[in-house]
Amino acid sequence: MGGTLLRWLLVAAVVHGAAVLAAPSVIMGKAIARVAQGASGVNRFNHQPPVTPQSRAIVRPSPDLAYLSCAYDLTNGPVRIRIAPWDDYVSLSLFAANTDNFYTINDRVMGDALYEVTLIRKGKPIPEGAVNVVESPSVKGIALERRLAPSAERFALADEARKQSVCETWLASEPARDG
Amino acid sequence: MWKTLLFALTALAVGVALGLGSAWTAVSRLSFSGRITDGGWTTNLNTGSTAADPYTRAAVARDGLLALARTETVYFNRSTDDAGAPLDAACVYRLKGRDLPARWWSVTLYDQDQYLSRNEDGAHSIDATRVVRAGDGYEATVSVTRGDAANWLSTRNAGKFSLSLRLYNPDPAVQADPGKAVLPVVEKVSCAGGV
Repeated sequence: MGGTLLRWLLVAAVVHGAAVLAAPSVIMGKAIARVAQGASGVNRFNHQPPVTPQSRAIVRPSPDLAYLSCAYDLTNGPVRIRIAPWDDYVSLSLFAANTDNFYTINDRVMGDALYEVTLIRKGKPIPEGAVNVVESPSVKGIALERRLAPSAERFALADEARKQSVCETWLASEPARDG
Repeated sequence: MWKTLLFALTALAVGVALGLGSAWTAVSRLSFSGRITDGGWTTNLNTGSTAADPYTRAAVARDGLLALARTETVYFNRSTDDAGAPLDAACVYRLKGRDLPARWWSVTLYDQDQYLSRNEDGAHSIDATRVVRAGDGYEATVSVTRGDAANWLSTRNAGKFSLSLRLYNPDPAVQADPGKAVLPVVEKVSCAGGV
């Protein structure tokens, strides 16, 4: 009986540890897939409609924010992200495959002009002409734009403004420099 | 032989069940590094942080995926009233608070599935830009119907619900110690059937 109990506990301990360690990457992997599906591919912004009770892709969304999400994939090189200006709070945040929020910047720093970020895989060459280079700890992840728009009127304006925001693969023809 | 195999499979199944159950409980209930409580509201200082421990990461992945680190936003959640009873759509609550020390704040109600509750009341959230203030603060009714409330969070179809408080660009003092922020109170007014 003692041996049986020990076996149960051993299996339980291994499963416990594996579940806790694997959960973030598994859940994030599903989120990345859903965002990519919504945008019809990786390295493209998914222009999400206003958050409603039918918005069930990501838990606990805020109905006061206009979200743009992009499933980035650095397998084929860097990704360029541009965030359009806004007359209120707007931010770009980057999340690694293990859920870490490894980078965030908001309008207080971005100012009132189009702001560009170059996202590269950690340790990889920096493209020529790249600005505001950010290193991603993982090949895949999610870039998220949040724009404060608590009313239908503000959301309509935000929707217009964010048409200038871009998430795209850095063109292969653009040369890279070591960095 | 079959008896031995059956025994081994049973042991494996029990072990897996114990492992998954204990992992779920640990992520849900235990206090790990960085978790603090302030007047019934809970936050984790390591949300979104690269310093988060495995349990915090798992909890964030399950309950608050894509949450920002506290330098940008501090999130507080609660699923109980001021007396410690679970928040329930069968009851009516009064939420009272003051403007919070941040560039922008909001209080949002989520159903038991962690999404906006399935209703068309347009009352899932109150925020700093639209809240109707009275004196030095505001008061909101948390109930199925609005009545004559100036501010309303609808609990229609919310079941056992929870609340999230967002402080965007929190003041430095809150960033440093979110536990010192004066957060809204949630008082139970009444329940269906007089519970």
